[in-house]
Amino acid sequence: MGNIRRKHSKAIRANHKNAEFSAFESDLGALNPIAKKRKLVQNKLKIFSVRSGLDLPLFFITLILLIIGLVMLFSASAPNAYYFKNGDSYYFIKSQLIWAVIGVISMVAVSYVDYRHLRRWAVPILLLSFLLLILVLFMPVRNGVHRWIQLGPLGFQPSEVTKFAIVLSFAHFIALNFQRMGTFKYGVLPYAIILGMTGFLLYLEPHISCLIIVVLLAGGMLYIGGIKLRWFGLVLAAALAAVAYLVLFTDKLTYANGRVQGWLDPFSPNSGVDTWQTRQGLYAIGSGGLFGLGLGQSRQKHLFIPEPYNDFIFSVVCEELGFIRSAIILVLFAMLVWRGIVISMRAKDRFGSLLGTGLIAQIGIQVVLNIFVVTNTMPNTGISLPFFSYGGTSLVMLLTQIGIVLSISRTSKIEKT
Amino acid sequence: MWRRSLFVLAALIFLGFGVSIARLAYLQLVQGNMLKQMATEQQLKDTKLNPKRGTIYDCNMKPLAQSATVWTVVLEPNYLEDDESKELVANGLSEILELDKSEILEKTGKKSYYSVLKRKIDTDVKDKVVAFLKEYKIKSGVRLVEDYKRYYPYNDFASAALGFVGTDSQGLSGVENYYNADLKGESGVLLTARNALGTDMPFDYEKMISAKNGNDLVLCIDEVIQHFLERSLDEGIKNNLVQNKAVAIMMDVNDGSILGMAVRGGYDLNKPFELLDEEEQKSIDALPEEERSKAKAEALEKQWRNKAVSDTYMPGSVFKMITTAMGFEENLINENTNFFCSGSIVPFKGARPIKCHKAGGHGAQNFVKAFCNSCNPAFVNLGQIIGSEKFYQYYDAFGFTEKTGIDLPGEAQGIFFSKDGSMSQIDLAVASFGQNFSISPIQMITAAAAVANGGYLVVPHIAKQILDSNGNIVKTFEKKIKRQVISKETSRRICELLKQNAIDGGAKNGYVPGYRIGGKTGTSQKIGQSGPNGMDYISSFCGIVPAENPQYAVLIYYDTPKGPSYYGATVAAPTFAKVMQDALPYLGLECKYTEEEMKNLEVSTPFVVGSTVSQAKNKLINLGFSPTISGNGDSVVAQIPEAGAKMPKGGKIILYTEGTSLESKVKVPKFIDLTPAKVNKEATEAGLNVVIKGTILQGGVAVKQSIPPGTQVNKGTVVTVEFAQKNAEQTSD
Repeated sequence: MGNIRRKHSKAIRANHKNAEFSAFESDLGALNPIAKKRKLVQNKLKIFSVRSGLDLPLFFITLILLIIGLVMLFSASAPNAYYFKNGDSYYFIKSQLIWAVIGVISMVAVSYVDYRHLRRWAVPILLLSFLLLILVLFMPVRNGVHRWIQLGPLGFQPSEVTKFAIVLSFAHFIALNFQRMGTFKYGVLPYAIILGMTGFLLYLEPHISCLIIVVLLAGGMLYIGGIKLRWFGLVLAAALAAVAYLVLFTDKLTYANGRVQGWLDPFSPNSGVDTWQTRQGLYAIGSGGLFGLGLGQSRQKHLFIPEPYNDFIFSVVCEELGFIRSAIILVLFAMLVWRGIVISMRAKDRFGSLLGTGLIAQIGIQVVLNIFVVTNTMPNTGISLPFFSYGGTSLVMLLTQIGIVLSISRTSKIEKT
Repeated sequence: MWRRSLFVLAALIFLGFGVSIARLAYLQLVQGNMLKQMATEQQLKDTKLNPKRGTIYDCNMKPLAQSATVWTVVLEPNYLEDDESKELVANGLSEILELDKSEILEKTGKKSYYSVLKRKIDTDVKDKVVAFLKEYKIKSGVRLVEDYKRYYPYNDFASAALGFVGTDSQGLSGVENYYNADLKGESGVLLTARNALGTDMPFDYEKMISAKNGNDLVLCIDEVIQHFLERSLDEGIKNNLVQNKAVAIMMDVNDGSILGMAVRGGYDLNKPFELLDEEEQKSIDALPEEERSKAKAEALEKQWRNKAVSDTYMPGSVFKMITTAMGFEENLINENTNFFCSGSIVPFKGARPIKCHKAGGHGAQNFVKAFCNSCNPAFVNLGQIIGSEKFYQYYDAFGFTEKTGIDLPGEAQGIFFSKDGSMSQIDLAVASFGQNFSISPIQMITAAAAVANGGYLVVPHIAKQILDSNGNIVKTFEKKIKRQVISKETSRRICELLKQNAIDGGAKNGYVPGYRIGGKTGTSQKIGQSGPNGMDYISSFCGIVPAENPQYAVLIYYDTPKGPSYYGATVAAPTFAKVMQDALPYLGLECKYTEEEMKNLEVSTPFVVGSTVSQAKNKLINLGFSPTISGNGDSVVAQIPEAGAKMPKGGKIILYTEGTSLESKVKVPKFIDLTPAKVNKEATEAGLNVVIKGTILQGGVAVKQSIPPGTQVNKGTVVTVEFAQKNAEQTSD
């Protein structure tokens, strides 16, 4: 640890001194073993305490969403499990429950750890992200894309790491160079390089949905970080030009392009692409009406919607619970985002603010994009719904991220309710 | 940073979640019903419930056509996931359904959700399929759909009237077609929630709009009468080498209900698409492929054609009863009007003479005689008296220009000389004895019924009632009268004529002892259809019974007999007599014998073996038999004829006692060509009993004997001798 401090000290000496650096230095200084131990003991007793513990609203909103998500996952996955897993209706929920427990433990544990330790891991994690994104290109193709790395029984998507890596590294670098965000060299170039490389690798997979999330996250963080708005205009123009070129002169985007066609007319059988999933999802949502068919009563989950426990789980939620309850779930998600950003805005340091906002925005963006896809507001692209969709590593990752935000909340200047 | 953070927060919450919720509201609340309907369609569209087609009963509620549950095996190739399960299914089903395995395997490879493997398998086969699927835990890919199959328990019985259904359970002919709407019922839908595999969901969600089973149809047709008609026709076809089918219709003259409608040779209703005529099938098979299906369709069309309703013919002399009705009703002639027949008549100057069937002519005769002689020149005269205008007026009134309205499909319209009813002189001359215009058999019998029932033209009908599936009467087909054509008095007078004709006129061969029948024979030429052996004919007979108060009319009609005779009197009349002999006692008509008939009445011999000689003797004498005792034992050990044999009253019964042998044999004499009196004499001399069948009145001679002459038989044996009018050909038309 001292080694890292020295390394940073050297870097700092080489650079201009600034406020953020001092804050970083003093934060680390505060983390001497004795102080840390005392703090941990104090906080251990304060998980549910009203004073200076973690943020209970965020904690409980997360748990509520997790529980609803698990119930709905069970409902949505039971038919597929029944039909394809030898009649074992519990096949998916069993595995997800185990991951949820691991995730909650991880969340609570991480909330005890001072998030500032992550600054040291920002660059290694970013490098790891690149490594994995390159590695995944050599993995066997699944559904026409390289997206998964299989480690024994565990499969995970490197893009999960990438999203985290982008948030973490951007938070770190912006916090580090906050005063110079107006300049091209410190405010634009490093991020453009990171984002460009990441984007290119995601495009090779291809994993357009992750690319969109990463771009949105990066943009949001840079915006909060104080980047000059004209750069956005430039990037936007460049992106538009690139897309226009790809669409007009190459067939590189046909994969996504077909989805666009299906998006515009999901009910036409002649749109040239398979809109089955979108169509079935819309049927489910429409079938729900105001009050829904009742928990467990979805008909569309009976093999009409392919993998109803994955990206399209929310259509089953809509069908079973109806508009009112589905909207309440969305409000819960909105509250999660709201609470997360409030915590972040009042974080003790700029890194915490950026990191918290990034992490919570990632969840928020994912939720919104998922709902957009399921409601056919945007073309179908694979985005899972946080806390609901099936996937162990993803769930643990999400809960861990919330844990980090909770960790930020411990030192955040918010009123602990 | 604060401001920008707030902006991101606001963007996410308002733009992201706001739009999401708005979009949800739109989909669930605005488009909800539409989407739900589309979803429901795919979730529930599958199971059509076939209704059970109604049963067709005869008038005694004997089922003539019924539906039984069968199953259709449907393959859903898309749900057979791997080659292994495809192989398994193909293997198992090919064995159970007796299909080619490679064919099934080929079907499993297709990209489809619905491929019919076999239709209409019986429940026992279906059970095997279910057991197979269960044993190998095949949950999807094979579906069994309930269906019904039509069974006709009596195969070709009443085929023309009943008709049959096609594979889609649509009636294609007969009452099956005519009453299809009543019989077919309404399909239902089983709204089982269905997953995308098409199998039922393992959760409770089911809604059924049950199929409404078809109504049952009760016919006026009496299975027993129909059977008598068919049996007698079959015999007639065989005896007379009939080439082109035969028709027999029995109708209640008062309400128009059809008790029997036989068209032979019929076809097997259970296999309507198989050609009955093997030779025709062979000749079709020999055709080039492209012509085959057309030829087959034509042949089937012919096979299914209901000759009684859809074909027309020239009624010939049977029509004379209608001509007579015109004359009587218009008061132009009466029974005593005199006619003269010189053997031929020239209807008008310059015309070719029309010959009478009796070469020498009938000479002077009153109208009764002329009718019984079926004298054509006399009827040409009558036609001239009536005139073409009146003739057509009655022709029209008797319903020959319109369809009878019988409840069968494909009723033919007759063909008259002209559309407006005008007739040339020659037309009128030949029309008066039923030539050169054509009508359908059902038109003829309906008109005959009008003649018999007091002049009312009724609408013939086959259906009696429609019942719902619980047996409640939905509809009863009432008697429908179109109009009164002739007066009751005219009707009565013609019935008397017809009766006279059956007693000592041309219709003698249709006579049935004990019943007062009336009838008219007909032999008509098939114009333009002379076969290789000269002119083709139609032999027909139309009779009514009982003559004094007619209840039933029967029309017998043979198309192109190529046997020893083609005359209605020799071909069709015996069939009528045979039908009546069976049918009238069954229908419960009162049997009143004349004295002469009483003599020839048959009695069943009693069983006396084992009783003492005196007991047996007394018993037999009391029953009107004359016993002869052979041997001198005390008790009877054998009797000839045996108990239950039919023999005339006063017949001889030989009783054998102990110690006598049965060896006393006699030789059967030749009875053929002998008169009844001579037959009786010969038989008595030989010690045989004779049972007389057929016409014995007025010139009947033996035409057939049950035991060939010269055969050695025991004394007292019963020989059945059949009589017919030998000179029928001369006295008939």
